[in-house]
Amino acid sequence: MQRLVLLSVFVSLLAIPQPAQCDDQALSTQSGYGDNAASRSHWAFQAPQTSSIQLSSEPATTETAIDTLILRRLEGQGITASPKADRRILVRRLYYDLLGLPPTYDQVQLFLDDASPDAYEKLIDHLLASEHFGERWARHWLDIARFGDTKGYVFTESRDYPNAYKYRNWVIDAFNRDLPVDQFLKYQLVADQMVEGDDDPNLAAMGYLTLGRRFINNQHDIIDDRIDVVFRGMMGLTVACARCHDHMYDPIATEDYYALYGVFASSPEHQDEHLPLRLKEADQPQDAHVFNRGNPANQGEIARRRFLPFFNDEDSFFEQGSGRKELAEAIASDDNPLTARVFVNRVWSHLMGAPIVSTPSDFGMRTDPPVQRDVLDHLAATFVNEDAWSLKRLIRRIVMSNVYQQSSEHRDDAWAADPENQFYWRANRKRLDFEAMRDSLLACSGHLDATVGGPSVRIETAPSTNRRTLYAFIDRQNLPAIFRTFDFASPDTHSPQRPNTVVPQQALFLLNSPFAQEAAEQLADRIDPTAEIGTQVRELYRLVFARQPSVEELHLGATFATQADEESVSPEHGNPWQFGYGGVDDHGRVTFSPLPYFTGQAWQGGPDRPDPEIGWVILEPEGGHPGNDQKHAAIRRWIAPSEGHIVVRGTLKHPAEEGDGVRSQIVSSRAGPIGEWIAQHSEIATTVESVDVQAGDTVDFLVDCRTNEGHDSFLWPATIEFRSNSHDTSEEIPISSGFHGPLPKPLSGLARYAQTLLLTNEFHFLD
Amino acid sequence: MFGNLEHAMLSRRELLWRSGMGIGALALGQLAPELASATNSTNPLAPKTSPLAGKTKHVIHLFMNGGPSHVDTFDPKPALDRYAGKNLPMENLRTERPTGAALPSPYKFSKYGECGTEVSEIFPHTAQCVDDMAVIRSMHADVPNHEPSLLLMNCGEARLIRPSVGSWLTYGLGTENQNLPAFVSMCPGGYPIQESQNWQSGFLPGIFQGTHVDTRHTEVEKLIENIKNHRVSNAQQRRQLDLLNALNQKHLDARQQDAQLEARIQSFELAFRMQTDATDAFDVTREPKHILEMYGSGTQARQILIARRLVERGVRYVQVWHGAGQPWDNHDDIEVNHRRLAQQCDQAIGALLTDLKQRGLLDETLVIWGGEFGRTPTVELPKQGANAGKINGRDHNHYGFTMWLAGGGVRGGTVYGATDEFGFKAVEKPMHVHDLHATILHLAGFDHESFTYRYAGRDFRLTDVHGKVIHDLVA
Repeated sequence: MQRLVLLSVFVSLLAIPQPAQCDDQALSTQSGYGDNAASRSHWAFQAPQTSSIQLSSEPATTETAIDTLILRRLEGQGITASPKADRRILVRRLYYDLLGLPPTYDQVQLFLDDASPDAYEKLIDHLLASEHFGERWARHWLDIARFGDTKGYVFTESRDYPNAYKYRNWVIDAFNRDLPVDQFLKYQLVADQMVEGDDDPNLAAMGYLTLGRRFINNQHDIIDDRIDVVFRGMMGLTVACARCHDHMYDPIATEDYYALYGVFASSPEHQDEHLPLRLKEADQPQDAHVFNRGNPANQGEIARRRFLPFFNDEDSFFEQGSGRKELAEAIASDDNPLTARVFVNRVWSHLMGAPIVSTPSDFGMRTDPPVQRDVLDHLAATFVNEDAWSLKRLIRRIVMSNVYQQSSEHRDDAWAADPENQFYWRANRKRLDFEAMRDSLLACSGHLDATVGGPSVRIETAPSTNRRTLYAFIDRQNLPAIFRTFDFASPDTHSPQRPNTVVPQQALFLLNSPFAQEAAEQLADRIDPTAEIGTQVRELYRLVFARQPSVEELHLGATFATQADEESVSPEHGNPWQFGYGGVDDHGRVTFSPLPYFTGQAWQGGPDRPDPEIGWVILEPEGGHPGNDQKHAAIRRWIAPSEGHIVVRGTLKHPAEEGDGVRSQIVSSRAGPIGEWIAQHSEIATTVESVDVQAGDTVDFLVDCRTNEGHDSFLWPATIEFRSNSHDTSEEIPISSGFHGPLPKPLSGLARYAQTLLLTNEFHFLD
Repeated sequence: MFGNLEHAMLSRRELLWRSGMGIGALALGQLAPELASATNSTNPLAPKTSPLAGKTKHVIHLFMNGGPSHVDTFDPKPALDRYAGKNLPMENLRTERPTGAALPSPYKFSKYGECGTEVSEIFPHTAQCVDDMAVIRSMHADVPNHEPSLLLMNCGEARLIRPSVGSWLTYGLGTENQNLPAFVSMCPGGYPIQESQNWQSGFLPGIFQGTHVDTRHTEVEKLIENIKNHRVSNAQQRRQLDLLNALNQKHLDARQQDAQLEARIQSFELAFRMQTDATDAFDVTREPKHILEMYGSGTQARQILIARRLVERGVRYVQVWHGAGQPWDNHDDIEVNHRRLAQQCDQAIGALLTDLKQRGLLDETLVIWGGEFGRTPTVELPKQGANAGKINGRDHNHYGFTMWLAGGGVRGGTVYGATDEFGFKAVEKPMHVHDLHATILHLAGFDHESFTYRYAGRDFRLTDVHGKVIHDLVA
């Protein structure tokens, strides 16, 4: 382990000068830090304005303040809002937006059948009360928190964070009990000073700070990551830019960065037995020095611990311990101009499909006032002043608006005026994200495990888990491809927004992955196999789309399933090896029956040996044992993939010291027997020179017991050298390499039909 | 210059602009024209043209991970013979571990090609191509440790999360073949040190991350996830897709002006073809016998030949790692080990350069050879827990080492820069890893100072605030 040895040298070398993080030349030409007049007038640094809201010219009875503001601006553009979406669309939209799960057919019907005027409101309240609500919204927050179950690359120490999942559980629970968001934020920064005792479950909240990448345990980088996740995540400020010199645009000096650095440097880590890693207070909190140009070896002035002075009193410093508590209070404050705005913008974005501020984690000087600033300010102000930081009330306000309930349908006139839908003249069509997609497949399969909370589980390995996707174990060092393929938020650093890509690897997963195929098969298994095809199609539409099929869809489905039935695919499709027993008849032809039972390591007649009918026959990767007569030879069969010729080289071994030995034969379906050997307490070379084969020809490797089946275990390592006529190449195939257990069953016609429904755009998009 | 995720989630205007540009580029690519409009709109991998003229369209980076010794391969130091077993007349530079007396190379160097560049006897095939190669003998990095040096070489930053060179280039150029991954990182047996961070996309969308392929395997389904289906035949799947298209088309008809819906429809057709194309691309047995013989046998030959098949099919960036862990990290027994390692790959590297040239691909394919650093000209001293009393290896050396470039607009037959008399430190025209990155981007048609991505409030570059293009290396 050469790498262990170098650790000490390595750590010291890290302290040598490091590259600067930003461009100094650019800095000198910018008015950034220091231009306080410009900063003071920056829209996002001022308290949200709640201008008087006047009803639009044609007030509707259900109009909310959000609608008034949106309509006013739409009118200014000469665009009209879209009508309400179909109730069927609304119920699906709400289920996914609030729970991340599809409604069942019955749930849809229940809503459609409810004629009461407050049916929609009742549905919202019903969903907000579901414990799946917390799961859905926890995952949104975990993107912000760059949550992961592992530390990243840390040499040879264990990579797993103990109990990381308890932070996720805490977030789920916090959202479900509607913990006020200011409290929610504070717990994540300073739970250690908000609870009594060392086992309060709220201590898990501090996973927000601690569960980032470890950067090979470089303390400066760990603290930098914490400053970044706190300020971008909670306040939409890129404070980490000030690590090497004053921020280029925002009123954040390097000194301010190291004032915060001192807070975290005075908050050492503490590992409780049953909780995630957390912080505690240092016995002697200390201010840090500024690292000139970010270089720890070049220390400058002391930076007294305090909050960003621009957002606070210039002369006030932290006085309690590390200052982390005061930091939390300053962030989660009613008076902080950014915290509520940043939070409501994220919530709006998840519900409406596009944020009001297009850089959700950067509300700094380079971010212009958004088109819908008054909506943002209104939401932020009511969130703090009227709704007491309640996430559920905030969501309720938004989804109750007509703006949210609009149809997503295209309209030429409005599209011409506002193709990007900046003015929200329609609902944005949304594609299911990774979690909603995978959870929906599980829901359709009928096997979704709806348990809330619990440890992380690997979702990428077989056998696949039926747990909701947010419980996936997140290995940030080698994040499995499926997460990246489906635009999962990178767990490396705080993630403001997920990308939204369409790539063929997504289609390959849905077509070919064992997970997707299993879901399709299980979905098909929910259908009565004896029912007529029309009934089956109707039932599948109910399960997949929660609706009835149209006449045309019925026809398409029935046609597909009928034709599908006529095709038959052998399970051995494409696999050249089979395992069986039998013998050679008088014409030199092999009678071959497949061995019916696989133990996990070997093929045999049944669970027990000898099998009552087939006897002692067994085949293992390199050898086996024959049965009791010439009709119960153990047979390994190879099927030629194309025209060519083969050479076989091998050694038949009979290791036992008793018995009459074994006889082996190689028989081609074209040429008949082409070799025969006997081994008795001995080994013998089994060579066959150049035999021609056509595609589909079989070559059988038989071993029988001669006259007595006692002591007849054999080994027969051999290699087929196959030279194909179509390519001028040869391939060496060890016969042990072709050994395999039962091949997956072909998907039935109904399962292939069910799978196709699960692939549709209708399934993957929300209108 | 390019859009960025956080600041502009692909504005409509930008989509149209990109589509316009993309269609031109598509004519050269392998996509059917009818796919052009749909795939460009939301496909971040649609082919793009670089802002400046650049000859490099593809990159093959042969990564000799662990750190090959320059004084035993491409940087002959006869002065070491004079000091064999004696201390150098200079103080040994501080590397990871203590080193002692001068250790002359056990190998002979000879001049090759018209340019007469000297190459060690352990790379005889590669040496035949020196007239196409620019050998940089003055590379230097920051620290003598694998982890930071690997990240510096791959991502331009030793510790923090930054996109790799391959991610930057696929972000900037897209890829010419939508049926294959745009950026492939082959490593037989598993991962190198620092694992998939070496081909990470950092703050760029995950789709720009390299696809790791364990070339220890030969079956394509162990190379590319979900590429085969054992439960549905090809014909059956075609019928599924026909039904899917009918259902999706009906769905689309009722929903105008949504590029995402169209793109997703097309993605299934791409996936269907990918199953065939990817299988084909990784199957070297489809090569004629004389090509197979030219590359030789073994894992290195196979993966280097796959690299050629991939760039030939339009893959943008291919990394070929020598093996899992750090095979070239020969702290001891360097004579035996370096000979063995070179023998594994030399013939195939020579074949690759020759083969690319014969196919007319070398002009547009930049081949990069090197490790994360070089090795000391002095012998590593025994240390507790290391090299078991053997005094016949070399320690890491970041002060000076050799890399070479070929093809892609590189000036062949040149030697650039030099280390000191003994090969310890780059003294003549020192070229930092940042300069290498600036030069690679330049060859691909990007100004490294303006090729940026805005993230977390900053415009990030591959070269951060460093790097200069070494024009002497450009033809």
